[in-house]
Amino acid sequence: MELRKYITKRIIQIIIIFFVILTVLFLLFRLAPGDPVSMMVDPDMTQEDAEMLIVQLGLEQPLGMQYLIYLKNFFTGHFGFSFHYGDPVVDIIWDRLPNTVLLFTTSIILSALVGVFLGKIASWHKGKKVDSIMTIGALVTHTVFLPWLALILIWIFAYKFGWFPINGMISEEVWLDPEAGFISRALDVMYHMVLPLSTLFLIHFGAYLLIMRSSMLETLKEDYILTARAKGLEEKVIRDHHAAPNAALPVVTSVGLSLAFSINGGALTETVFTWPGIGRELVSSVSQNDYPLAQACFLMIAGVVLISNLVVDVLYAYLDPRIRY
Amino acid sequence: MRKGNAMSVMNPSRKRPCSRWVVILACAAMLITGSLFTVSPASASNLLKMGLLQEPKTLNVWRASDRWSRKVLGLMYQPLYVRDPETLKLIPWLAAGPPLFDEKTLSYTVKIRPAKWSDGTELTSEDVAFTGRFINKFKVPRYRSKWRFIKKIETPDKQTVIFFLKEPKAIFVSRSLTTPIVQKKEWTALIEAARKTKKPLKKLLNEKIKRPVSSGPFVLKEWRQGAYLYLQKNEHFFGTGKKIQGRLLGPYIDGIIFKIFGTSDASILALKKGSIDMFWWGIQPGYIEDLRANPDIALFQNEKSALYYMGFNVRKAPFNDANLRRAIATLVDEDFIINRILQGYGIRMYSIVPPGNAFWYCPDVPRYGEGLDREGRIKKAFGILSDAGYSWDAPPVDGSGKVVKGEGIKLPDGSPMEKFTILTPPADYDPHRAMCGMMMQEWLRMVGMPAYSKPMAFGALLQQVKLRHEFDAFILGYGNLSLDPDYLRNFFISTNDKRRGWNMSGYNNPHFDKIANRSASEMDREKRRKLIWEMQKIIIGDVPYIPLYDPKLIEAVRKGRFTGWVQMLGGVGNIWTFCQLKPR
Repeated sequence: MELRKYITKRIIQIIIIFFVILTVLFLLFRLAPGDPVSMMVDPDMTQEDAEMLIVQLGLEQPLGMQYLIYLKNFFTGHFGFSFHYGDPVVDIIWDRLPNTVLLFTTSIILSALVGVFLGKIASWHKGKKVDSIMTIGALVTHTVFLPWLALILIWIFAYKFGWFPINGMISEEVWLDPEAGFISRALDVMYHMVLPLSTLFLIHFGAYLLIMRSSMLETLKEDYILTARAKGLEEKVIRDHHAAPNAALPVVTSVGLSLAFSINGGALTETVFTWPGIGRELVSSVSQNDYPLAQACFLMIAGVVLISNLVVDVLYAYLDPRIRY
Repeated sequence: MRKGNAMSVMNPSRKRPCSRWVVILACAAMLITGSLFTVSPASASNLLKMGLLQEPKTLNVWRASDRWSRKVLGLMYQPLYVRDPETLKLIPWLAAGPPLFDEKTLSYTVKIRPAKWSDGTELTSEDVAFTGRFINKFKVPRYRSKWRFIKKIETPDKQTVIFFLKEPKAIFVSRSLTTPIVQKKEWTALIEAARKTKKPLKKLLNEKIKRPVSSGPFVLKEWRQGAYLYLQKNEHFFGTGKKIQGRLLGPYIDGIIFKIFGTSDASILALKKGSIDMFWWGIQPGYIEDLRANPDIALFQNEKSALYYMGFNVRKAPFNDANLRRAIATLVDEDFIINRILQGYGIRMYSIVPPGNAFWYCPDVPRYGEGLDREGRIKKAFGILSDAGYSWDAPPVDGSGKVVKGEGIKLPDGSPMEKFTILTPPADYDPHRAMCGMMMQEWLRMVGMPAYSKPMAFGALLQQVKLRHEFDAFILGYGNLSLDPDYLRNFFISTNDKRRGWNMSGYNNPHFDKIANRSASEMDREKRRKLIWEMQKIIIGDVPYIPLYDPKLIEAVRKGRFTGWVQMLGGVGNIWTFCQLKPR
């Protein structure tokens, strides 16, 4: 099948799947236990107050009507107003999205580069001490409980040594200073990124290392590696230029999907480091039954994951000419 | 599509991967940025830095439903009357004196202090009247119930407001006159825009207030969402340099910076490190010893106006029997809960009104099981239940009076008591209430009751209890009850036994209803107190709720930089503190 036909078919599939997700999300939130109004009232409020609040939130409408409004909001790109902020959901998402993308994309790219590099080395030294140390190290960092690791890093590097800030994305000292320019502010953000980035890096690089190592070991058994050796090429050239590029394909898939999931951020990482991103907003909106905001966050994640899958498939064909659709 | 063979992707002539350089550069960047900044303690300036657990959702005073927004807004928008920190009596704040009640016309006259808005314009009686009219006109949720009984508001002059009531309402002073006052000029413009929309109230509630015009000790300087919120000293604050209740008001600090922390762990580390001066949230018992040992930290312990309780579904058997509820109240060991579960950081509740609310609290209510040990409680409960006609396959007290494991309790009609559940919030939401549920399950099983504690997601619990009324018993709480005890009426009056109503237990007592309605319209404070006391006696006698505890509020501040923290019911984070706090 030609690539163009394949892409067209996949896009149609994506649209259908997305519509199903759109509907399921709407139903899930309405069927899930919990009530947005119960979380907003206090004993000073009367029954009438609560009912007025329901009207203001648009929850007095029959479910069918709510669904139509939801669809209308989606197709107009509006997504409604957050129950708690009172702001348009789109504004909230656009406000938080760059923060999440900055942190998570950086961490994934960094982890992938280091993971691929170390995985290559580990596989090359299979069975030796270097391989054991790297494999065990990767397994440990990848399986460690993220909030625990984050708190340990905060405790050591922010509290004990005082090298980095405990949380947040910016310092008010810098941002309230009228003389602070763009560079100072950019450096301030980088400074705040160090600990969350390190946490995410430590958690993620192990996975890439293990994938790369495993893929590399398979690749090294291929005939063309034997041919390269027979040609008398240097071992380093065989490793870096013949084996590694082919072995890196599974990592590409993994990175592609990770980038997609990075949109929702790591709810845990963002919460522990008070990083003002989508992940933290997602947790908060779900726990407070802020339907419009939570729905929009999930829809965005669904959309990006679906598109990323398509991109990864197409990228595969580009990277590996043996793959044809 | 690119074509080629497998070898084409492993062309040896390709450039070397640059991953190692990226890693090196990234590490270098981290080190450089780390060395460029030093983590300063809460700065040498005159700014108070406070940690909040969550970010305020809005600065629209009519929209704010979360406690974080209300904490911040409370420093900007001011009411006519506030509570004295010692006596808890309402005292004039924006008002110049106490409200004068005219029984004939059913009206209250309030004189306003000379005051200005943060934009420098004069705050007049027109602003006060506008606030009330606005709430009634647009039926603003959360405030409407406090103003709906106002017939009209007159402003004979700039400093005088007269409120005419439709009917006598006891809550007028404590609820209506403690409503934050907004500026007429600012909101008139917004109303005009809202009127052009289909849903003006929705438009007004969704209005993003970027620069609130307020009258409090602080005004908004900058809000960088997700990072910090900076309030600056209000140069036009009416209280500056004045003595109110013998307290000379500032503010003496330049401003307050609220920093957002996602977790208590991070906030407490920031406090210990000196990145913040105060964490504006109760400290959990697990952190207290560590903070107590820190010489730079001062801990404050105050009472809360809170109520944590066990409620029954009295609409159906078996809990429609007051004797069973009294027996359970006898079996519940509140001292154990306070000493063991709360580690001593709680106050025993005998009534629905917390003891810290001294004027309204009735000490003369039945005290079930007080002073009894476990065996004594079981014997007492056994006595209550036996007298009420309950029977057992194996009674919890044998013929010789010895306490044994009871089994197979039967209702007065001879049918076996069916398994029932005690719903609690989950341990990750509130470990204390989850643990209370487990203890109660054990205490009730000792007398043969088939009790099962069931932790449930908080939202789902509320739905079961408040909306569906599908439950047997539950443990819930109110962390911030109003100081006016009108909630007693709200919680137990039969007219509130409906979907989303506050009478979650379904309690129905016409005698109580009558007294409750009288209390709502009794304008004489002393007479009202008698009615409120009577209501407490009825409720504790019938036990639709078993009051369990009122947790103590422990707050932590840095010692070194500021002095003048004012302790009161509800903690040191109050308007008096912020008006009196001085740099050392």
